[in-house]
Amino acid sequence: MLGLFGTLALGTRALSAQRQGIETAGHNLANVNNPAYTRQRIQLRTSNALPTSIGPVGTGVEVAALQQVRDGLLEARIASEGSVTGYWAAQQKSLQYGQAALGQEIDRQATGAEGAAAASATGSPLGLAESIQTLFDGFQSVATNPTSIADRQALLQKAKSLASKFNLTDQRLDQLHTQLDAQLADDVSDVNELLAGIAALNDDIGNAEVGGYGAANDLRDVRQEKINALAQLVRVDTAEDAVGNVTVSINGTTFVSGRERTDTLALYDAGGGQQLLRAATSGTALTLTSGAMQGTIDARDGALTTLRTDLSSLAALFITNVNAAHSAGFSLTGSTGAAFFTGTDASTMAVNATLAGNPSLFQAAGVSGASGDNQTALALAQLAQTRHAGLNQQTFQQHYGQTVAALGQSLATANEQSSDQSAVTRLLQTQRASVSGVSLDEEMADLLKFQKAFAASAKLITTVDEMLDIVVNLKR
Amino acid sequence: MRVTNNMFPDRLASQLSTLTARQNRLQDQVATGQRIARPEDDPGAMRRVLDLQAESRQAEQHQQNIAALKEQAGVSYSALQPLRRVSDRASELAILADGTKSPDTLKLYAIEVSQLIQQAVQLGNTKYRGDYLFAGTKNDQPPFVLATDANGLVTGVTYQGNTSTAVTEVSEGMTLSAQTVGANVSGSGPRGLFTDAAAGADFFNHLIALQNHLQAGDAAAVNATDVPALGKDEDNLLFHLAQNGTVQARLATAENLASDRVFATEKLISGEADADLAQTLVRLNDTQNAYRAALQSGGTIMNLSLLDFLR
Repeated sequence: MLGLFGTLALGTRALSAQRQGIETAGHNLANVNNPAYTRQRIQLRTSNALPTSIGPVGTGVEVAALQQVRDGLLEARIASEGSVTGYWAAQQKSLQYGQAALGQEIDRQATGAEGAAAASATGSPLGLAESIQTLFDGFQSVATNPTSIADRQALLQKAKSLASKFNLTDQRLDQLHTQLDAQLADDVSDVNELLAGIAALNDDIGNAEVGGYGAANDLRDVRQEKINALAQLVRVDTAEDAVGNVTVSINGTTFVSGRERTDTLALYDAGGGQQLLRAATSGTALTLTSGAMQGTIDARDGALTTLRTDLSSLAALFITNVNAAHSAGFSLTGSTGAAFFTGTDASTMAVNATLAGNPSLFQAAGVSGASGDNQTALALAQLAQTRHAGLNQQTFQQHYGQTVAALGQSLATANEQSSDQSAVTRLLQTQRASVSGVSLDEEMADLLKFQKAFAASAKLITTVDEMLDIVVNLKR
Repeated sequence: MRVTNNMFPDRLASQLSTLTARQNRLQDQVATGQRIARPEDDPGAMRRVLDLQAESRQAEQHQQNIAALKEQAGVSYSALQPLRRVSDRASELAILADGTKSPDTLKLYAIEVSQLIQQAVQLGNTKYRGDYLFAGTKNDQPPFVLATDANGLVTGVTYQGNTSTAVTEVSEGMTLSAQTVGANVSGSGPRGLFTDAAAGADFFNHLIALQNHLQAGDAAAVNATDVPALGKDEDNLLFHLAQNGTVQARLATAENLASDRVFATEKLISGEADADLAQTLVRLNDTQNAYRAALQSGGTIMNLSLLDFLR
């Protein structure tokens, strides 16, 4: 038997439980657009029954816990797939910069003399392929008209344009390298901040949960969000211990343990200016497989470095071959032995300034004293079809084509992986939204449900009140 | 599956962004007419197109080379024709100068021959684009220098060109020359136009001998030595006319080859790089319809919730 006062207490407990339900629905509704939020639910249970002669009598309802609807496995998947997504996205971005730096495109409308004129007037992008071929065409023109100053001048102009294109491309790739290093440095400080944040949240969560007052749901949401952000940048392994601390380790080195950040990430020079990652305190070099930082490193040290060295060796071989043929020739004034290009690689390549100032000095003839001779110019023109041992038995054009295709292949792979990965991520996000997301319809229904129950509990209290009134008025 | 509120806008946003990206790409293809433009689009095709474009540009350059050679051969021909008339007239005079002519007549003939020699020297010094056409590769100075005596008779013609010709590429690995050297006394190498040891031709010296014989009134020598000598020169000239014709024919063939090559590579490049306009437009239309439909349905669904029906 509860008695009337006991029933009144039951009503109060019920009121407070329904109010808690309304509050939670309100909290959920308020966070409907918070992407890190995990919906919460109140867990109701019957309060302790009173043992009586007729058996245990119910004493109403009480709130057992505020529970988060979270799928731990799904969260872990999201974090680890986030690393892969970050990896390919970073590769894609870096390689796209590389592609832009190279500036090689196909413009079919620039075909033929008329098309080329129209295209160059409207700013068509011409890459190294066009410049190399144009230079060889220039050699051909001079070979056809060895004494024509106009053709010689045009040739030197083409050579200058090729040299500056090589210079510019190399310079752009060099800048890109520097920018990627700067990007890595930014990422490192982001990672360290996130690690510190996770350690601080471990502390907060431990403090909040220490009295056994249930889980610190909202703090856990924030921590999970930080772990996901961290996983985008670098692949991490996380594990939660019995007291709710998350241990974070990267490649086997622990970075957050308990409530402390035990180590920080740092860049170091692995030799030749190659910036790689290591743990600052323990000094362990980190070998990573995924995460945006590794994506940047792999693109930088892989396709982009290959691109740059390929272009530079192409330029070097180009300079050597052209100079060897040219210096044996004779100019219109009879001079011989001059180099056509100065410099040794893509960054230093330039047309011999003496030649550029005086086109007559271009050494087209193969014998001295015969201005109409074109053997050297012809030999230079025919370099276009020579296969070079240094380029794996390919011509200059073919080797350049291979270089372009190799970059394209890397980028195409990154594009493909990136779009696959975004499909996976989308799927996981959808699953997460399905499990943990807030549904307005559900919350409105809950609101309605708890409101009615609140009203009913209030009615109980009124009823008991009236009953008490009757009891009090029994004696007049 | 439990579907929550934010799944609609998230999904719609991602679908719309995919459709926009596709429309953008298709629009690009329609505007440029190309299926690929950047290396990432199709690395293999990109490489083949770069190689083919180099080949096609090379063939275009060969066309330009051929055009220059044709011009040169044409100019040569127009110098060879009048030269032939000079040679004809000289032979005619040599035949006319028989024993029946008086010494005075022969002297008049001698003056005409000396005029013919000067005319031939002028033709031998024909210029094409600032270069002397019959000087071999030493073409920056007149190949033939004329020496005359006080009476206006020619005493000698010296050749100061050389015996090399410059060859030009007309297709990959094939070179051709439209040049003719003025004189070749060595008997090897390209055949000389006026003097050629191998053919026994020595036009100027033969003409000078004729002129001198006529001046001296030696009709017998004219008949015995000059007439057969001039015959050899005539043969040599005919050889050069024929050779000029051959070169022009070869150039015509090479030109056809080069333009065929340009067309053939153009076709291959088109196969690799060009977009099928009809296909692309149909795809673009599809994508636009999907985009419109997604907007329409998204707008309708997102407007509805239980909220609209609770009071």
